[in-house]
Amino acid sequence: MTRLTDLPPAQAKRLAELECPDFATRPRVTGPALSRRRVAIVSSAGLVVRGENPFRGRDPDYRVIPADTRPEELLISHISINFDRTGFQEDWNVVFPLDRLRELAAEGTIGSVGQTHYSFMGATDPVQMESHARELAGRLKSDQVDAVILPPV
Amino acid sequence: MSALGHYLEEGGIATVAISLIRPQTEKTKPPRALWVPFELGRPFGPPSDPAFQKRVILAALHVLEREKGPVLIEDFPDDDPRGRPDPAWHPPFIPAGSAAGSDGSLAARLVAEIVLLRDAHQRWVAQHGRTTVGLSGLPISECARYVADWLRGTAPASPREGFSAPLMLRFAVDDVKAYCLEAAAAGIAKPSSRQLGDWFWNETAAGATIHALREACLSSEDERLKLIAGNFMVPAARVRGSG
Repeated sequence: MTRLTDLPPAQAKRLAELECPDFATRPRVTGPALSRRRVAIVSSAGLVVRGENPFRGRDPDYRVIPADTRPEELLISHISINFDRTGFQEDWNVVFPLDRLRELAAEGTIGSVGQTHYSFMGATDPVQMESHARELAGRLKSDQVDAVILPPV
Repeated sequence: MSALGHYLEEGGIATVAISLIRPQTEKTKPPRALWVPFELGRPFGPPSDPAFQKRVILAALHVLEREKGPVLIEDFPDDDPRGRPDPAWHPPFIPAGSAAGSDGSLAARLVAEIVLLRDAHQRWVAQHGRTTVGLSGLPISECARYVADWLRGTAPASPREGFSAPLMLRFAVDDVKAYCLEAAAAGIAKPSSRQLGDWFWNETAAGATIHALREACLSSEDERLKLIAGNFMVPAARVRGSG
């Protein structure tokens, strides 16, 4: 219903033909069963906790979203305006499914939910994000996270 | 975003990406991704539908358990049920005469419209317990006045230290959009994003103001302002003449 073919042709063409990095290696980490995994969200929606520094443009760094952040505290500061924001306005889980992760942890489907979650600004050139993403891997490990879900927007 | 997954995997963290644009994911070749057939902005599908959202996130998490690799892209099978319009939805009533403002200008109509939508927006906040207005850090009435001043050609100074005036214009425009769209969605009907967007961009003083401001700023000599106005105020699908 809302596939790429539903977008205006010029926008669909630009998105489909967007230059993407072609990596020489294909790293692929495995882990324990889902019921023993600690899961964190690393969004690229330009999310920011209210009152903190919003993304101003194509900033390459990330913002920290503590797990005790409340829905009314989370804003989108993504530079692009070519995506729907009304879904997020109604329910933050559309973009940042922290409530769903908590439920999955409570019922034992996943092991636990990370103490901290993160957001980049997805319109940034991924090459510019590299050093920040590598540093983030260390932070995730220190929180014992062994599974990350990467939602775009 | 699939490239982030590559860097995190190299750092020893297993990842699964949600993909909204399959061709991009096919090019980046992440170790694991779930493509979802939802509109941009809704990677987990419909708002206020925890069961559906849970199916999406579980489908993504289960990709983590697959042995197949080094690149695995699975497809989520179901469309977003909230992508359909709701015929029961009606936009908020804005009396034409009272929205004209003190001098009848578009800028004055914007300021008046924000006041007229206040009750609807308060109903939204009561209903959902939150608002996404706040990027500019200004009260919504000041956002409207700031945007209106830009339209009047006064090029107002930035009201927030450390933020340039064009950046504050972008944030204030984002806040005005969020405020109006939240006000319009208050109530029990479940409008689609297209219904809300059609109303905002075609029928409101706020939408008309942002269209007019974009056109005015595009003839500015300030390259930064032109960049922001040209690309980050009116969605590509809503730019007049874009079809």
